[in-house]
Amino acid sequence: MRHLLLGICASAGGLVAAAGVAVVLLAGEAASQGGSARETSLAAWERIATVLQHPRCVNCHHPDAPLVGDASRPHMPRVVRGRDSKGAPGMRCNNCHGEHSNNEASNVPGAADWKLPPRTMMWAKMSIGDICRSIKNPARNGGRSLQGLLKHAIEDSLIQWAWEPGGKRESVPMPQTVFTDFFEEWVRTGAHCPN
Amino acid sequence: MKINVNGEERDLGAVDGGTPLLWVLRDQLNLTGTKYGCGRAQCGACTVHVNGEAVRSCSLAVRDAAGKQIVTIEAVSGRIADAVRAAWQRLDVAQCGYCQSGQIMTAIKLLASNRKPTDADIDAAMDGSICRCGAYIRIRKAIHQAARALA
Repeated sequence: MRHLLLGICASAGGLVAAAGVAVVLLAGEAASQGGSARETSLAAWERIATVLQHPRCVNCHHPDAPLVGDASRPHMPRVVRGRDSKGAPGMRCNNCHGEHSNNEASNVPGAADWKLPPRTMMWAKMSIGDICRSIKNPARNGGRSLQGLLKHAIEDSLIQWAWEPGGKRESVPMPQTVFTDFFEEWVRTGAHCPN
Repeated sequence: MKINVNGEERDLGAVDGGTPLLWVLRDQLNLTGTKYGCGRAQCGACTVHVNGEAVRSCSLAVRDAAGKQIVTIEAVSGRIADAVRAAWQRLDVAQCGYCQSGQIMTAIKLLASNRKPTDADIDAAMDGSICRCGAYIRIRKAIHQAARALA
């Protein structure tokens, strides 16, 4: 794990990657210096939660309408979820949101299949412990296993967008490779959730 | 690059693929019924139909419109389009008229998927279409009238 992460650090060379690596190493240290697997797991989850609670993710995890921007403002124009989570008849998400990261002329973000997440996946205003229990619950997470969650997080077109949102939008706070390492560590050490 | 507009293949020559469809429609193909309002998908004035969806043409790169069926206000047709146009004329909906092309294209798509819209349905569909003259009450009335004509 450390070799892998140092490799990422060396190749990416980015400050963000380096910061992420430092935290993983710290989490690893906790375990090797007598800290329990549970502590390592919780430390990893805290880092994962910084991604899930970032505006790029949580702006859309709302019941009726998304928020937009790094300051999480209401969506202008007003939009509603609609029956299929892709907007109302006559006002569909893909009426404005194209299939690619960012429209260079209008600055409207895009990804394949732009939509709101299901109502069972609402994280806004939840504690990181509640988000953790929510995403582990197959009744709320689309019937996914823990490995299924990671696969979803790295393959879904809309989640991909959060890593490369384009325009002046801030991306989620760590590279996808580092996120994956934290996630795998969290799973390997028992996928614990904070109380 | 070629695009299909109003049933015809149109050759755009060496157009930059990132050019908004709206610019191509207005400046290159001279289809000026579709209006430029904000350029940021905020106002709805540039709405055209792309593969049956009411798309903001300012926010669609022409490369992404290639291979799709584009219909503009100049050629939109059918029972629903006729009913909407008739209601618009009967109620004299437009004041300055600048936004009306986008309003009509959106109203047609609303009625295509909801033949009996409530006020709330109409508001949800038309919220992305701004009218600076404030003709919203007549727009809503015209959509109800078109819906009744189609029933």
